[in-house]
Amino acid sequence: MKKLIFTICMGLGYSQTGFEIAKMVDEKPSPNDMSNKTKMVLTNSKGKSRSNAMMSKSMDGNKKQIIWFLEPKDDKGVAFLKIEHDDKDDEMRMWLPAFKKVRRISSKKKGDAFMGSDLSYEDLSSRDLEENEYKRLDDEIVDGRDCYVLEILPKKEAKSSYSKHVSWIEKSTLMGVKEESFDKRGELKKKKKYHFTDLKGYHVMQRVFVEDVQKQHSTEVTFTDIEVDSGIDEKLFQEKNLKRLPRK
Amino acid sequence: MKKISKGIRYLQLLLPLQLFNLLNAQLNYSGSLNPGNMYRLSDQSEISLPFRIAEAEVGYSLGDFEIKTNSAFEYRWSNNENEFQLREAYITWYPNWGEVKVGKQIHAWGAVDGNNPTDNLNPYDYYYMFLSGAERKVGTVSGSVKYYWKDLQIEGLFIPEHEGNRVPFGEQAFPLNIPDLRPFLIDKERGREFGFRIQTTLGSSDFSLSYFDGRDRSFTLVGYNELPNLMPSVFYRKTSVLGFDLVSFIGDFTNRFEIAHFSTKIDVNPDMLYFDNATYIQYAEQIEYTTPNDIMLSVQLIGYILGEISWQEIEGNRSAQTSVPELIPGMGTPFATFTDLGLSFSASANYYDDALELMGNTFIDLKDSQSMLGASVKYSPINNWKIKMSISKFMGEEGTQFYNMEDFSHLKVGLEFHF
Repeated sequence: MKKLIFTICMGLGYSQTGFEIAKMVDEKPSPNDMSNKTKMVLTNSKGKSRSNAMMSKSMDGNKKQIIWFLEPKDDKGVAFLKIEHDDKDDEMRMWLPAFKKVRRISSKKKGDAFMGSDLSYEDLSSRDLEENEYKRLDDEIVDGRDCYVLEILPKKEAKSSYSKHVSWIEKSTLMGVKEESFDKRGELKKKKKYHFTDLKGYHVMQRVFVEDVQKQHSTEVTFTDIEVDSGIDEKLFQEKNLKRLPRK
Repeated sequence: MKKISKGIRYLQLLLPLQLFNLLNAQLNYSGSLNPGNMYRLSDQSEISLPFRIAEAEVGYSLGDFEIKTNSAFEYRWSNNENEFQLREAYITWYPNWGEVKVGKQIHAWGAVDGNNPTDNLNPYDYYYMFLSGAERKVGTVSGSVKYYWKDLQIEGLFIPEHEGNRVPFGEQAFPLNIPDLRPFLIDKERGREFGFRIQTTLGSSDFSLSYFDGRDRSFTLVGYNELPNLMPSVFYRKTSVLGFDLVSFIGDFTNRFEIAHFSTKIDVNPDMLYFDNATYIQYAEQIEYTTPNDIMLSVQLIGYILGEISWQEIEGNRSAQTSVPELIPGMGTPFATFTDLGLSFSASANYYDDALELMGNTFIDLKDSQSMLGASVKYSPINNWKIKMSISKFMGEEGTQFYNMEDFSHLKVGLEFHF
C-alpha cells in the first residue's frame, strides 16, 4: 500500500509542494534500529588528517542513539547517549571514564561540533518536519540522478544554528544526495554529500562527506559493519550501557 | 606418536581460545605511559614526589558480567622508588534492571566538576590531589547496586571498612602541613559505611538526593599519646552527609549545583578540649558556557558554612588544652579546609583537530588574600602521542594555605602515549 501511495505521489510530479516532498522523505520506511562502526577522518586546510573510530547503535530513526568511542586511544571508553524527546529538550549524556561519571551535557547548543568534526549535533539529529518551512526549487540532475531541490528554512522553534539549507533529494529513492547549509548571516557554511547502499530493502547511509567552506576543513564519515533491524532492545539506551563496550 | 602428542598440545592451547569464543567473551584493554617530572619555579629544582608513569585498564566481559582492573605503576625519579598499585579490581553484573558492582572500586557522586561536597565515598590520594577526576581517588572495597526505572535511578552502596586518605607523611616536598611521622590512630572500630542516592529527571533537569553515613576521610587531632614518644593522637570522626545536586540548563548556560549538610561527632574520649557534635554545610555552584568559537568557560563558587557546635567536657586529669581547636572539615571538597568562600574559573579550547589543547584556570579565595593560577598545554604531533606542559603558581599572604605552597609553584613536563 505504501509503495502504491509512493508511486502515485511520484506520478504527480511537479505538482508537489516542498512540504509534500519533505513529508514523503520523512515518512519513507526506515529501519527500526541500526548499528555500525564509524570511521571519521578530519582533514584541515593543509591536507593534514586525523581519524576517529566509534561504534554506534540507534533506533527510532536516530532519535535514540548510543556511541562508544574507540579511537583515538585516549578517548577509548568515552561514550555518548542521545535521546530526542518530542515534548521536552533532548537528553545528551557522556560517560567519562577518567571521572567515573555520566555527565549530562547541554542539548541546546545544537551548533557545537561533534567530536571536533564538521558535523554539529544538529547535523546528527533528525530534522522535525513541522519546525521548518519548505520551498521547492527547480529540479536538477546531480551525478546523473534526477533530484528534487528543496530550500529548507528552519523556524524559530527549531533553534537552529543555520538560516537555510538547500537539499538535493533523489526522486527514485527519496534520499538526500547532497546539501548546502547556510549560517545565520546567510553565508554558505557547509557542503554535504551522501552515499547510500541498499540493505534489507532500506537505503542506508554508507558515507558522508562534509566540508566547512568557511573553515576550509572537511570530515569524511564512513560506516561499516552496518546492521539493520537486528532487534536492539530499547533498554540499551540507558546510562549503564555507556560504561561497557558492546560485543559487536 | 610424537605428531599426536604435538596435536594434543596444540588443541590444549587452542581450547581456552575456542571456549572464550563460545562463551562470547570479550577482552578490552587500554592504558597509557606518562613519563614526566615537576620542577620548582623558584629555583628550577626537581620536586621529589612519586608519579604514575604507567596505567592500564583491563576488562573481561562475559554475558552480563564484566571484570575490570585498573592498575598503575608509580615511580619516583629522585630515588628510583617504585610501586605497583592495583587501583581498582571489581566485578559488575548488568541485569536488565540495573547494575551491581562488587570489589575495589572508585565511585563518583555529585553534579559539579571536581569540588563535590556530596562525593565522599572514596579517600583521596594526597600525592595526586592536583589531578582531576578519579585520578586523585583511592579505590575502596565496596559493593553497590543501581536500579534504573524510566527516569529514576536508585543507588545503594556499602563499604565494609572505612579507609582514610593516603597522606604523604614525612614528605618534605609536599606543600601541605602534614606531620613527619604517621600519628597514632586511636583504634576505634573503623566501621562500616553506607550510602544511597536517588536521581531523577524533571523537565530538562536532573535532581539527586543522597545520604552517606561513615567516617571522615581526613583525620582529626584529638590529643597526644605519651608512650613511647610524644605522638599526636588522631581519629576519624563519625560523619553523616545529606546531599542534593542538580543539573539544569538556562539558555546556552549549563548550571550544576551541589550542596551537602554534614553532621559530625567525636565518639572517643579526646585528650584535649573538643566538640561532641558539629554541623557544617558545603556548596558548589558551577556555570558553564561554550563560546561561539568553542572555548569552554566554567565558573565555580565554593562555599563553607559552619553550623552549630556542642563542646565536650574534659574528664579527670587529661592533659587539658585551653585553646579551642578549629573545626576542620574531614569530608567534602578539599578547598573547604582552607577557605570559607572561593571562586574558580577555567577556560579550555582545542585547536587543529584536537591536536592542541589549551587550558587556563584560577582559584581565588574571596575571604583571605590567596590565589592560584594554572595553565596547561598538550600537543599531539601524531595520533596517541602527546607532549604536555603545565604551570601552577600559588600566591598568598602570610598565614594562608597558598602562602605555605608558594615554594611548590611548579612547572610540569611530560609525555603521554595511549594504547
